[in-house]
Amino acid sequence: MESEIPGYQVQTDFFEGPLDLLLHLIRKNKLKIMEIRLSQITAEYLAYLESKKGINPSRESDFLMTAATLIYIKSRSLLPRPENPAEESPEKQLIHSLIEYEKIQKISKMLQDMEYTERLLWRRLEIGENFANREYALKEVSAFQLAEIFFDIVKKKENEQFLYISSKNYSIAEKQTEILTLLGKNGFIDFSDYVAKLDSIEEILVSFFTLLEMIKRHLLIAVQEQLFGTISIYPNEAGKLDN
Amino acid sequence: MNPEQISQRIALIEAILFVSKEPVEPGRIMEFLDIKDIEEFEKLLAIMEKEHLQDRPERGLLLKRSGGGLQLATKSDLHDDLKAFFTIKQSTKLTLASLETLSIVAYRQPATLAEISDMRGVNSTGPVKNLLQKKLIKITGRKKVPGLPALYATTQEFLIYFGLNDMTELPSLEELTELFEEKEQPSLFK
Repeated sequence: MESEIPGYQVQTDFFEGPLDLLLHLIRKNKLKIMEIRLSQITAEYLAYLESKKGINPSRESDFLMTAATLIYIKSRSLLPRPENPAEESPEKQLIHSLIEYEKIQKISKMLQDMEYTERLLWRRLEIGENFANREYALKEVSAFQLAEIFFDIVKKKENEQFLYISSKNYSIAEKQTEILTLLGKNGFIDFSDYVAKLDSIEEILVSFFTLLEMIKRHLLIAVQEQLFGTISIYPNEAGKLDN
Repeated sequence: MNPEQISQRIALIEAILFVSKEPVEPGRIMEFLDIKDIEEFEKLLAIMEKEHLQDRPERGLLLKRSGGGLQLATKSDLHDDLKAFFTIKQSTKLTLASLETLSIVAYRQPATLAEISDMRGVNSTGPVKNLLQKKLIKITGRKKVPGLPALYATTQEFLIYFGLNDMTELPSLEELTELFEEKEQPSLFK
């Protein structure tokens, strides 16, 4: 943006809104808010809108509304009418908004400077927060991450010595009912805890496939609360409605 | 307090602040150290702040008062090196839209979404949501007008984020207007 006035600089490609654009035009023409007649800059404003230069498309309706107000003000100024001091003219209203908005821009600038100086100081948690990019605490995990944890646990199990009395056959259907009962009782399953309690690698395998199958069918949802944290399995409420 | 006592107490305060994740209320420390006189406590903090941290180039920390509490933070000239050491590419800054929204909430609080959007001249749902997520603003109640819109106000995190101890540290609206008017250049052609 080619603003010649130092100080408040718009860093985005877009004007934040119609008031932002109007203030830009007023500054560009080296006018003072209190002294301008808005009808003067209406043409320029409309030209911007037509060329869509610096207009945020998702804010277009807001820009159009102000355009309508500007045209209304211009049309009023062309018609002779009795002065009514008690009446709040749209021009006065818009000028008032502009004055207020200019203050907001200045406060924003002040906050921005404060933000800048504060960001140079690091406190506890700063690193963790930055790494997590200050996103939500809960993140859905991929099947890949689940599998990774799963193989870690299998490795641990492999090193354990077991005395097998008899082998038992596990079925996915049985496991599914077992998981659902467990979820009904506890509300959620801690994946590592759950697998660690199982008896054999065979059972772990069947349980894992059951979990994957249920996640695939949107019956369950796997959630990791933080990076490298444990994975929790929840019943998928949204999925239930779908089925 | 004799010099030895002073050193002991400052060491303890430093240790408490070092361990704490959040700013620590000065009242709690005073109570713990059994200091009744606030001026005595402030004197202690002043020594710690200046002689023990600020004036010592070999120290990497400084004492901050933010959000009504005490906190240790790193000195600002270490910022670039810290950034390099922890290989952090860019830290998320607030967008202009968010800053404008915050300005309105800070000075008009409690404010509704409609009031914010009206003052900015654009729909402000996005920035309000963003600021709520960042915990820089919170809902304090509902305005008793049709629709009962939520009222937003700034939080303690807001103070900490901008390095303020309390809201009075922000210049008042009157001071701001004066500040702005002073800055305006008198026209030469008048």
